[in-house]
Amino acid sequence: MGDLSRLVLKRLGFGLLTILVVSVLIFFAVELLPGDIAQAVLGQGATEETVAAMREQLGLDRPAPVRYFEWLFGAIQGDFGVSLVSGERVSAAISGRFVNTLFLASYAAVIAVPISILLGVFTALYRNTIFDRVANVATLSTISSPEFFLGYILILFLAIRAAAFPAISSISGDMSLVDLLYRTFLPMLTLVLVVTAHMMRMTRAAIINLLASPYIEMARLKGTPPWKVIVKHALPNAWAPIINVVALNLAYLVTGVVLVEVVFVYPGIGQLLVDAVAKRDFPVVQACCLIFAATFILLNLSADVGAILTNPRLRHPK
Amino acid sequence: MSTFVVLYYTALIGASCLAAYYEKRSVFMLIFSLTLVSFVLGIIGGVGALRFVALSAGLLALAAGTAYAFREFLIQISKPNLAKELRTAPLTAAFGMFVIFTYAIAGIFAPWIAPHGEAEVIGQAFQPPDANMLLGADQLGRDMFSRIIYGARNSVGLALIATLLAFLMGTMAGLFAAVKGGWFDQVMGRVADVIMSVPSLIFALLMLSIFGTGLHVIVVVVAVIYSPRVFRLTRAVAGNIVVMDFIEAAKLRGEKDWYLIRREILPNATAPLIAEFGLEFCFVFLLIAGLSFLGLGIQPPTADWGSMVRENATLISFGDITPLIPAGAIALLTVAVNFVVDWMLFRTSGLKEQ
Repeated sequence: MGDLSRLVLKRLGFGLLTILVVSVLIFFAVELLPGDIAQAVLGQGATEETVAAMREQLGLDRPAPVRYFEWLFGAIQGDFGVSLVSGERVSAAISGRFVNTLFLASYAAVIAVPISILLGVFTALYRNTIFDRVANVATLSTISSPEFFLGYILILFLAIRAAAFPAISSISGDMSLVDLLYRTFLPMLTLVLVVTAHMMRMTRAAIINLLASPYIEMARLKGTPPWKVIVKHALPNAWAPIINVVALNLAYLVTGVVLVEVVFVYPGIGQLLVDAVAKRDFPVVQACCLIFAATFILLNLSADVGAILTNPRLRHPK
Repeated sequence: MSTFVVLYYTALIGASCLAAYYEKRSVFMLIFSLTLVSFVLGIIGGVGALRFVALSAGLLALAAGTAYAFREFLIQISKPNLAKELRTAPLTAAFGMFVIFTYAIAGIFAPWIAPHGEAEVIGQAFQPPDANMLLGADQLGRDMFSRIIYGARNSVGLALIATLLAFLMGTMAGLFAAVKGGWFDQVMGRVADVIMSVPSLIFALLMLSIFGTGLHVIVVVVAVIYSPRVFRLTRAVAGNIVVMDFIEAAKLRGEKDWYLIRREILPNATAPLIAEFGLEFCFVFLLIAGLSFLGLGIQPPTADWGSMVRENATLISFGDITPLIPAGAIALLTVAVNFVVDWMLFRTSGLKEQ
């Protein structure tokens, strides 16, 4: 087991390193601004004094590496500095919204994961039948549609024509869980549609890959019933690719959530990021980007670790 | 029971009987399960739901017919070798080619097809459709139809340029990394890892917040974000080719790196690269559409599908589907490209036995 934990630790260390490099990228990208932040925010018309005052306030007179480390240590403790536009603390603006985004993403994930894995296994078992072909075309169309297209179609049919669900998911803290689930139903459904399509296709490919291997053929030839072939022979080896698929798609959810939040005016961190980009509020942009990137990297990391844990062959690299 | 419902079930049951008679098992299963589903749908959704099913089936049949005719047309006009390949194309791929062809025509001849200019205000805001404006007016009173036609030129054109740039950067870096190896290969690999570890939309938003939303900025940023994918593929494909004997022979002849890339590696790597180009175009197109939808892509008054959806989104709350047309146009093109790429991958790789 010592070998295994060392491998996992090594992978974790690699993930942390990636997050560090990305944080450097996010911080120093802003340094690339023509002029500096103060000038960019205040614009061409600003007087020398106001620019100087803003520089003073932001501490731009100190060298960039020093500010980077201050920013990084602040970020680790949950302090992302002060918003340039509203003047309030970035962490205060983010914390509530981040919980909302996590809520929406996990709501979608809880529904999408079982459905797509089941459907993926079925399409793999019944491959090249009409069912598989229809599923193939349907998932391909969903993947190819921009998230906002699906979102607006759902709004049009389920919120306007049928008036079954609210088109705008305004939520507040004191709602009951049922009410929350009801109000976030349409954004959840949009995310589920997109992610299910991806996950289903990847599960199907993984299972088909597996079913083509000789030991499955052997099991079939010796007369094992089909369900037993799947449950006893295929599934233990399928866990690794399925865990991988799930983690990768949860990572995909992280990006998909931005567009969906904008469509449904959902008070999440994606909406905040888009607003901040339009207003060029750099501390908020940096904070949101760091959070999104870190979540994305951590989920990809868990995909790798899950694969290592479930597939003994990966523990002994040749 | 209206005549429509009677006709609907007669047609379905008749078709399933015909299919059963001619022993087309899968067709029969499809049509008959549709009949059974229609019973439930008809009870829940009434005649409206059945009409919707009939309409979608009609559209599907129309698309299949168009695809079939277009494939025959392509087979007729192309050279024997190409015609043989085209004969193996499934209907979905033919449909994809037809859609791409239509978009290309719309994009290239936009000024002649569109009845009005893209930024020309000719009516009142949200004016309903009439003979002059086929799809009505947008939020400023510009002709929706003309803007959609121009959008084919602007949105697709921009995505195409960005894809080409990403492809150029990715393949060049990948080929040189494969040929040179050593530290260059390592550095490029790590750079690609870092870029790919940030979600693409987030990366694009960060860069656009810094450099502003000019067209050249979008092209470069999107190209940088998607070139690592091309790099990895090229590196993997070329990596398998550089170890071949004919490369060794060329090296011993004293050929330079550039000659190796151009004359020895590229001709052997074209098939996967062309398929990757299609996929890459889909990603780029969707990313740019998403950025435009967020108001950070192509800036007004240039007509662009992503921003058109955003600008006219208020119409949706009145039950109007016009704002969905540009979004649908984006989806249709991406589906079409995917269909064609699917066929190409199927043709060139060992996917056949699956």
